[in-house]
Amino acid sequence: MDDYKFLFKVVLVGNAGVGKTCLVRRFTQGLFPPGQGATIGVDFMIKTVDVGNEKVKLQIWDTAGQERFRSITQSYYRSAHALILVYDISCQPTFDCLPDWLREIEEYASSKVLRVLVGNKIDRDDREIPIQVGEEFAERHNMYFLETSAKESDNVERLFMQIAEDLMKQARMTNVPRYDPNSYNVDSSSQESSCCSRLT
Amino acid sequence: MALLKCCFDPGEVAEMFDTLYQNDPGCCCGCCSAFRPRYKRLVDSIFPVYPQDGLVKSNMEKLTFYSLSSPEKTDRIGEYLYQRAARDIYRKKYGFVIIAMEAMDQLLLACHAPTLNLFVESFLKMVQKLLETTEPDLQILATQSFVKFANIEEDTPSYHRRYDFFVSKFSAMCHSGDSKEIRDKIRTAGIKGLQAVVRKTVSDDLVENIWEPVHMDKIVPSLLFNMQDSSFHKDQRIADDVQEDGTDPPMLAETCMRELVGRASFGHIRVVLRPVLRHFDLHKLWVPNEFAIHTFRIIMFSIQAQYSYTVVEILMAHLDENVKSSATIRTSIAEVLSKIIAIAAGESVGPTVLEIINSLLNHLRDSVKNGTCQADEKQYQEALINALGEFANHLPDYQKIEIMMFIMSKIPFPLVDNQTPADNMLQSILLKSLLKVGTKYQTIHLNTTFPVSFLEPLLRMSLAPDPEMRLLVQKILHTLIDRHGNLEKLSKLALNIADLDLNIEKSSRPDLIFINKHGPIIYDALYTSLQMDSNTPENIEAVYTTLALLCVELNSTETVIDLLQLLLGIQSLALSSTALSAAQKFNLHTLVIGLLVLIPDVVNIQPLSDYAKRLVEARKEEAPHCLPDMLSHYPGECEPANKIPHLLVDQMAVCDYLKASGIDSSRLSQTSPYGAGGPGVIAGSQRHSWMETSARGSIMEIQSVHEVDSAASSPGLARKMPEEDLTFESMKKVLTEPIEVRKEAEAERRKQISQAFRTATFSELVRRTQPKHDILQNRLNEIFKSLSVTDAGNVEEPKGTQIPTYEQNFPELFYY
Repeated sequence: MDDYKFLFKVVLVGNAGVGKTCLVRRFTQGLFPPGQGATIGVDFMIKTVDVGNEKVKLQIWDTAGQERFRSITQSYYRSAHALILVYDISCQPTFDCLPDWLREIEEYASSKVLRVLVGNKIDRDDREIPIQVGEEFAERHNMYFLETSAKESDNVERLFMQIAEDLMKQARMTNVPRYDPNSYNVDSSSQESSCCSRLT
Repeated sequence: MALLKCCFDPGEVAEMFDTLYQNDPGCCCGCCSAFRPRYKRLVDSIFPVYPQDGLVKSNMEKLTFYSLSSPEKTDRIGEYLYQRAARDIYRKKYGFVIIAMEAMDQLLLACHAPTLNLFVESFLKMVQKLLETTEPDLQILATQSFVKFANIEEDTPSYHRRYDFFVSKFSAMCHSGDSKEIRDKIRTAGIKGLQAVVRKTVSDDLVENIWEPVHMDKIVPSLLFNMQDSSFHKDQRIADDVQEDGTDPPMLAETCMRELVGRASFGHIRVVLRPVLRHFDLHKLWVPNEFAIHTFRIIMFSIQAQYSYTVVEILMAHLDENVKSSATIRTSIAEVLSKIIAIAAGESVGPTVLEIINSLLNHLRDSVKNGTCQADEKQYQEALINALGEFANHLPDYQKIEIMMFIMSKIPFPLVDNQTPADNMLQSILLKSLLKVGTKYQTIHLNTTFPVSFLEPLLRMSLAPDPEMRLLVQKILHTLIDRHGNLEKLSKLALNIADLDLNIEKSSRPDLIFINKHGPIIYDALYTSLQMDSNTPENIEAVYTTLALLCVELNSTETVIDLLQLLLGIQSLALSSTALSAAQKFNLHTLVIGLLVLIPDVVNIQPLSDYAKRLVEARKEEAPHCLPDMLSHYPGECEPANKIPHLLVDQMAVCDYLKASGIDSSRLSQTSPYGAGGPGVIAGSQRHSWMETSARGSIMEIQSVHEVDSAASSPGLARKMPEEDLTFESMKKVLTEPIEVRKEAEAERRKQISQAFRTATFSELVRRTQPKHDILQNRLNEIFKSLSVTDAGNVEEPKGTQIPTYEQNFPELFYY
């Protein structure tokens, strides 16, 4: 039903093939689509979750990792409340690209956006990035860090729930309903719009 | 129905009774419906028991009527419908959702404008709800409803309404990656949705500004992404696409793109084009560039015409940004530019034209300076020159001249030897561009084509040290002079004029005035360029073509005399020059005979024509090397022309034949071997121009000064004037003597002079003038010193010193 109180926009970014779409599918539909093709442009999913006693609606924009779609994907950063930066723990290059992604986020996203670093595919045996390395990187750049497996459904729920909770906390802290040009006001929940101040 | 009217005074009780009568006994709401608000009951009643039965039409009419008669209820009706639909979506009862949407649509269309705002709120929520589902059918349905909504003209502004989500979602739909069938449907829906958003917002200043980069960055790439598909599959799909046009995503995207660009005002063009350029960069669509060309054509054709040059500017700026990219990319961009620039040309005016030309030229210069001579870079330059030509092609003629002058002004001067290869290259590239522009120009009157400010630099360029460049200049002259399509026919020296089938027209008066005024400098320049020892047969043949074209275009007896004078001058040059090689001299003789055949044929002087033919025949016998074709090397046994005087063009003979056909040949017989103009106004202007050019101090020009041995065109004249004895006595003599006497005496003297110089040897002349010309000698020495070593040899030839001799001996000639 539609009595949600908060609406948050979450955007997933990261290199091609790190499992962004699988994470979203796992979370929204509870399935792991084997042989998922590359996302074209942007994909969209929605999920309403309960945080505390409140209903929170998450609009999840799943972007294509391929370079050629960069222009369209970047245009989605701006309105995001949370950005999930995904890399593949079994693939060093996807980790090496993270600074580039961060630069892009700096450039195109709102400065107050909540940033989460996710190392995906922990079900795989050929790990190349130790968990500490990921943690360190996240800490250095002031991000949340989580390792997940879309296949085994490890930490996926936790990831999105955590984001929802944090965003809600933020929203509560700045409860004053102030006008936010990035929010979408046709929704009934206009008081949710100011929810993206930086976590301290 | 009568009871319905009391709804203006709505009491719950009245409503309740009303429903009791009205409601179908079989309605699912049954007894409890009576205790619900009337609008809810009405809404409930439109849903059938089974979704496949569809909307209950009669009840829908009731609902519509109710909402119309009590407009304050519309927002609640909308809200309730939305809630029902949301619940049905949650329960996955999609049939009911579709019915709810249908009802919404009908209500929306039925609503009167003032109440619309209330209803739209929930309507859009409903649309969004449907778009948020993963069901393709619902998404498509929602889009259709949104399109319907977008087509409604609202008269009340809605400040708070935002389309952010719709733009995002429709853009995402444009990129749908589902299986083939659904994919196309979703993409089509996405494009239609975007189109609707644009339509809705563009006309209204008060709602969200769709031209914000945030939106354009989504809309434009989405459209391009879909358009791109078409160009990839065009061949195999075009056949079955035709009938279902409008449903095909690429076609639709194209239409939408046209609409979007068409609505863009000046300030928005940049916002639209930036994502376009980025899209091409990221998708690597510049090479190959069919799609880029296609897209930019669409843009150019749909953009408001007065802004079209902005597109060119932006593309040019993009070229600037891509300086570092590979030459192939730049070439492709430049090609795109050349394809679209023509479309913009019609609308460009004034400074913008020059701006565009200027930046094209700048790109050329950069390319010349940076990339030395890779093949890619060459192609890039070609592409730029093409763009330039295309642009010029579509400008009105008067602007073409302006452009030619502008390009001319960009060519680096002076043409000295010590320039870098890059400079040389730039010169020749700019000349090539000039040629390109020139070929697009259709000359009507020569005097409009060659304003002095254009003609003079051009002629100066025709004396450039590099033979290639001189050839280019001649080619420019050809294309500009030729008006009757004779260029092809005259590009090769031929002796059978009749076969050429020349297109000849009587020349107009303005043209004759033009040639009278400027002929001398043109002839002089051509003559001078023939003196260059670096000439190849092509150069000489090009000069032939120029002269032949001039002769054809300006066919009149007056020009004939001038041309014949020039011919004789060239012949004597070929005889006397020490700098030219034997082959070059033969080439000159060939040129002379070629023109001699042509001229009488064009102006129809039979005797002269016969004479020319006799000469040709004689040469065929004895000196075939003085006939076409021109070679760069002749076999050793060829006799120099000096040894065969009977095969040369004889001045006296020519004069006689001219006289025989009733043409006044006095001018031809009077003057010395070469001097294009006799004394008088013509000579005056000619001398003047040489003074001007020599002031620039280029080596070539100084050299040419020395070669000119006609009294009237002598550069010494101006210097000489003040030194002459302008005493009272002489002035008196001038005034008192009758004019005829003076003229006769003058003619007599002139004859003597020419006789003297034709017969006397050089050393004799030197001896005769020895004691007197110290001052001039000094002056000349100064000039010689400034010449390079190679040219010094040239200067020592007889003609060089003839001038002072001449002047010293016969100062009274210069009185007038």
